[in-house]
Amino acid sequence: MDFPGSLRPTLFRTGLLGLSNVPDMSFMCSWRDALTLPESLPQNSEVRMNGAPHMAKGLLWEPETPGPLPLLPPGPDPWHPGLTAQDLLFRGGHPFRRQPRVVLDVTEQLSRFLWDHGDIAFAPLGKLMLENFKLEGARRRFSILGGPILGKSVANLLGELLYEELVMRWQQLLLDDAFTGGALAWVPGRTPRVGQLVYPAGGTLDKLSRGPDFQEVSLTPAGDPWVLGDPGHIRLRGPVRQVVTRTVQGESLLAVRSDYHCALWKVSKQGRPAPLQVLQVEKGATGISLRLRRVYKDPETLVFRDPSPWRWADFTAHPRVLTVGDRTGVKIIDTQVKLERRSGPGMECCDHSEVCSHPERQIGTQRLVSSDTSPTPQSRPLHLASSSGPQFSLYLVDERLPLVPMLKWNHGLPSAPLLARLLPPPCPGCPRPLLLGGQGGQLQLLHITGEEASTPRLAGPPQSLPSRSDSLSAFPLLEPKSQWRLQERLKAPTIGLAAAIQPCASKPVLSLFQLSAAGDVFHQCLHLQADPGPPGDPGPDSCAPTASWTPQATACCSRWLKALLEVPPAPPVWAAPTFSHRHLLACVEQRKVEGKVPEGLRAAMAQGRLLQQRDLVSLPTAEPPPAPEPGPEDELSERLEAAWEGRAAAWWERQQGRSSGPGKQPKRHKRRTQLSSTFSSLSGRLELSDATSPPHSPDSEARPRPPVTPPSQELTQEHWAQGVPSERQQTLRDYMAKLPLREDAPGGASVPPSQTSSLRATPSRQRTLRDCAAKLPLQRDTPEGASVPSSQTSSLRATPSRQQTPILSGSQPHRKKPRMGF
Amino acid sequence: NSEACGLRCTESMSDFSEELIKSVTEDDRRETCELSGTGMQLPWLQKHIETVDTGGKKEKDFAQTTSACLSFIQEALLKHQWQQAAEYMHSYLQILEDSDSYKRQAAPEIIWKLGSEILYYHPKSNVEMFNTFADRMKNIGVMNYLKISLQHALYLLHHGMLEDANRNLSQAETWRYGEKSSSQEVLINLIQAYKGLLQYYAWSKKKRELSQLDKDDYAYNTASQSMRDHSWKTSVNLGALIQIPGVWDPFVKSYVEMLEFYGDQDGAREVLTNYAYDEKFPSNPNAHIYLYNFLKREKAPREKLISVLKILYQIVPSHKLMLEFHRLLRKSGSSQESMSIINCVKLFVQTLIIMTVAEKEEHLKLGLEVLFGVLDFAGCTKNITAWKYLAKCLRQTLMGSHLAWVQEEWNSRKNWWPGFHFSYFWAKSDWKEDKTLACEKALVAGILLGKGCRYFRYISKQDHQVSRKKIKRMKKLVKKYSIVNPGL
Repeated sequence: MDFPGSLRPTLFRTGLLGLSNVPDMSFMCSWRDALTLPESLPQNSEVRMNGAPHMAKGLLWEPETPGPLPLLPPGPDPWHPGLTAQDLLFRGGHPFRRQPRVVLDVTEQLSRFLWDHGDIAFAPLGKLMLENFKLEGARRRFSILGGPILGKSVANLLGELLYEELVMRWQQLLLDDAFTGGALAWVPGRTPRVGQLVYPAGGTLDKLSRGPDFQEVSLTPAGDPWVLGDPGHIRLRGPVRQVVTRTVQGESLLAVRSDYHCALWKVSKQGRPAPLQVLQVEKGATGISLRLRRVYKDPETLVFRDPSPWRWADFTAHPRVLTVGDRTGVKIIDTQVKLERRSGPGMECCDHSEVCSHPERQIGTQRLVSSDTSPTPQSRPLHLASSSGPQFSLYLVDERLPLVPMLKWNHGLPSAPLLARLLPPPCPGCPRPLLLGGQGGQLQLLHITGEEASTPRLAGPPQSLPSRSDSLSAFPLLEPKSQWRLQERLKAPTIGLAAAIQPCASKPVLSLFQLSAAGDVFHQCLHLQADPGPPGDPGPDSCAPTASWTPQATACCSRWLKALLEVPPAPPVWAAPTFSHRHLLACVEQRKVEGKVPEGLRAAMAQGRLLQQRDLVSLPTAEPPPAPEPGPEDELSERLEAAWEGRAAAWWERQQGRSSGPGKQPKRHKRRTQLSSTFSSLSGRLELSDATSPPHSPDSEARPRPPVTPPSQELTQEHWAQGVPSERQQTLRDYMAKLPLREDAPGGASVPPSQTSSLRATPSRQRTLRDCAAKLPLQRDTPEGASVPSSQTSSLRATPSRQQTPILSGSQPHRKKPRMGF
Repeated sequence: NSEACGLRCTESMSDFSEELIKSVTEDDRRETCELSGTGMQLPWLQKHIETVDTGGKKEKDFAQTTSACLSFIQEALLKHQWQQAAEYMHSYLQILEDSDSYKRQAAPEIIWKLGSEILYYHPKSNVEMFNTFADRMKNIGVMNYLKISLQHALYLLHHGMLEDANRNLSQAETWRYGEKSSSQEVLINLIQAYKGLLQYYAWSKKKRELSQLDKDDYAYNTASQSMRDHSWKTSVNLGALIQIPGVWDPFVKSYVEMLEFYGDQDGAREVLTNYAYDEKFPSNPNAHIYLYNFLKREKAPREKLISVLKILYQIVPSHKLMLEFHRLLRKSGSSQESMSIINCVKLFVQTLIIMTVAEKEEHLKLGLEVLFGVLDFAGCTKNITAWKYLAKCLRQTLMGSHLAWVQEEWNSRKNWWPGFHFSYFWAKSDWKEDKTLACEKALVAGILLGKGCRYFRYISKQDHQVSRKKIKRMKKLVKKYSIVNPGL
């Protein structure tokens, strides 16, 4: 292989590639890079002629339409854009006026979390207590001493977890590297004009589009795609992150990476895929490259200075030597023991933070193999390394001289260019187009020149290509909500990029396909503009011609839009956790209450249907009996058991016979009122889980929520009671009943047999937590009402607290857009 | 209780936020120094923050319009709308009066970068316009004087205006501002080196003129004298820069050419040795190639040449010089075979001094290794010379009963070379494209993999009148030397 005989002058520094105190020799202007030093003696005026051929001033890929057009109808699955930066950022007054800065709004996230996931937030407290304390003795002391400590530790833990989650989410938002490399590939077919697009489809991107073939696309001489047939699908076991195709020795190979699996197919000449190999990756795959039928698995043995879960590996010109990159740099490693002499630190684009506190972060390396279909593709050992940092830069590095980049370009893309495609030259002697795709959908095209024995250079000013958002003008104007939905859809991150150049056209045509995170495939045609003539000639090209929408294009967009609007809007990202009622049923059985639980109830639970009156056999329709005397707990459970079995009246009579006295009569009336308040608070609490949604309905999202009043202790306790397994709730409740506040009135109020019916009949479905909280002081006045110490009741209560269980099935499902998306 | 906890959590969070803030501000500051972007780590984020985070306090109108203008210019540039970009640029110049001193200081460089880009590509611009603009910009932000001068000179050089370029560089060379910083020094060195390069161009023009003149010609002496002047100046100019670590291929090349021309072989050798072996320099393959070529011109002993190429082999085992390296090694290794007795006696004395038999064997072995190394690379798979050499080398090595050497090389390759080189696909396509290559490859395949290998079978079955003889010979050799079942 030829090595460029004379490299362009460059200063060499150890340490960071992007940063140093010596002057940066690569400037933002592309013309500087386009200049060449005359190799030998310049022939005076001929220099211009010598140096000029690379300087194609009129090098421009002219788009046919102002934006890309949808190639395929939108998928039937709804799509939700997910978390945005705005959701996490602090709003409102801010001390930093001079320079706006990133501040994550933690308070809001925390309060949201407490609102939305009270069960998760408060349940650990109960769990902690259960494990460490027996509630029979020393209850009082424990509750006084333990209360604040437990409360704090749980909140601390919660804070830490939230912090971790926020960091993770924020980093993901800054750079989502899952789709590095791109999940869209063009498999060339029998003729250059026919090929297949391979891409993941479906709401979770886990279907690889295929028919008997993958999506076959035929390109007309003008470059317009013609979709042939309907693609079928290969359903995979996880979302597809990357699709790579390459032609190796005349065979088209297709490699697919999902989070924990990598798979390899061979695509026959007829376009039929045949599976070759599947690899399971325990630690999670982050990159896949394809050559020589080898799927590379990230070795764990490499030592890097920074923890970086993301790794990227690619082949070099030597099939057994690989480049392995992570966020801190790139290494050349040799997979053969024999050649280990050449291993060791190679391209260190970035260095550890001791050198500089802000190293540029490496976001991708790629061996530039153009998608030539010839059996021997271009084998120039060039690698593309892109980095994020204060400047988004792009480096072209020759693996033979890894420490000095051949080309550096500050691409200025507003998002990380995770996708890069080097294409074959559109015509002999033309520079190769290098496509860069930013995550945000932006596209840039660089013209790279310099074959074999000369250094790679930019051959002209880079060019931006229209992104999907530019197509908005092709769609008819809609009512705001749909318009917003369309905009969101067009703005979806780009996760795949594929291109095909039609070689034989008189005017080379570049067909560009984009895949968005919403699963849409868009297509655009670009024509290479003919040389506008001698430079300096004031031609009409001073202003690049602007493309306009054709009626066909707008019709295509309208059709697509119609299909899109038929897709139902996305369901909320977060839904309340559901538990299997069968599991609950097993709990009931375990507790040896067989024979006592009515068959009807068990059958209803087993079937998961709404609990009805008749399931509970014959409940007394008579006036509910008044509360009993406060007595030992056994009595209460006895009574509740009787109530469950429908023999409450008989029990009552028995009880009356045991302790009848005229002195008790005046108290009875008072109790009844207390009891009713207990019920309303109980039903309020039961509504709690159901009623968290109203404050988060979409219309209230925009305005900042008023500060959350710290929940009172009772509220807290009720909250954590919700997440505790049902079999433990009673113990918890026992404990709560003994809390100092209630100590003066021991003994819980009994629940009348009509409880279940009152639960179902509760009219206040929309009651909010605050309503509930408002009732709590009442409860404090009548402390005995707070405890519901019956095993049956608690098991019944546990059912509604799990949300979306049969009893509450009449309520509306959650319709909210959670901020955190937990 | 929970209030306190809430506070605590918020505290730990705000540490995190502080960290973010810190990083962002520092980046910001750096950004304003480096002036290369929209001001933040992630431009899209910047917008969010501007709208969300300022809490109603909007940026000043002036800052808003200038930053909007900047993004319009960038957009126009990326769409190749030069005229539009130029119009926006006209408005953007007002940033030079920004009240924000950071931005004001940063402005000239941005204007230079964008302005020069527009002027370079604008269909109506010309060199005079570019010159005027460059001269203006040099003096607006004094800090950029050197950088702009250098780029301006390169522009002129590229347009064939060597004298203007030279004048420009001479002016810049003497320019000083404030304390001499290290970056200034490097830039001045660079400027001097480019000036040296220009002088080299002039020198080499003179040299060519001189070669056309008769030595007795009157003009010869003057020309020769002026050449000497140029070379002296050049050496002064180039000498300083090439001491600084970097890639200075064009400078080193021209400097060495002049030194050699005036017979300063030692000086040239020193420059090249330093360029190749100084550890502060990146391991530039060209440095070793220049040194090798120089030594070859100097007719240096073979050992010396081998030692230079040995290092190149470590850096770029796929380089085309590796085949030459193999030839050198083979010659050095087998030199004793073609020696007369007298020479042998002579050699006996020599070998004690120069090389032992073991060293010769080492060279032969390395020669084999080098060939295998070259053919490992995807770009060299069709190099017919390499295959020819390998076939010959394998035969000789096996004849010399060094089967172990071959096996050592082959062991690390036997699991992938068959698919990489000797597949059915390659057999078919090589035979179609280049029959000689196919025959050489088939011979190697036969030796390494035996008669049963797909590649060998395919080629040996071909019945082609031109290569019939070759194939016959190939079959014979494979039968004799195949390392598969060597006992048979």
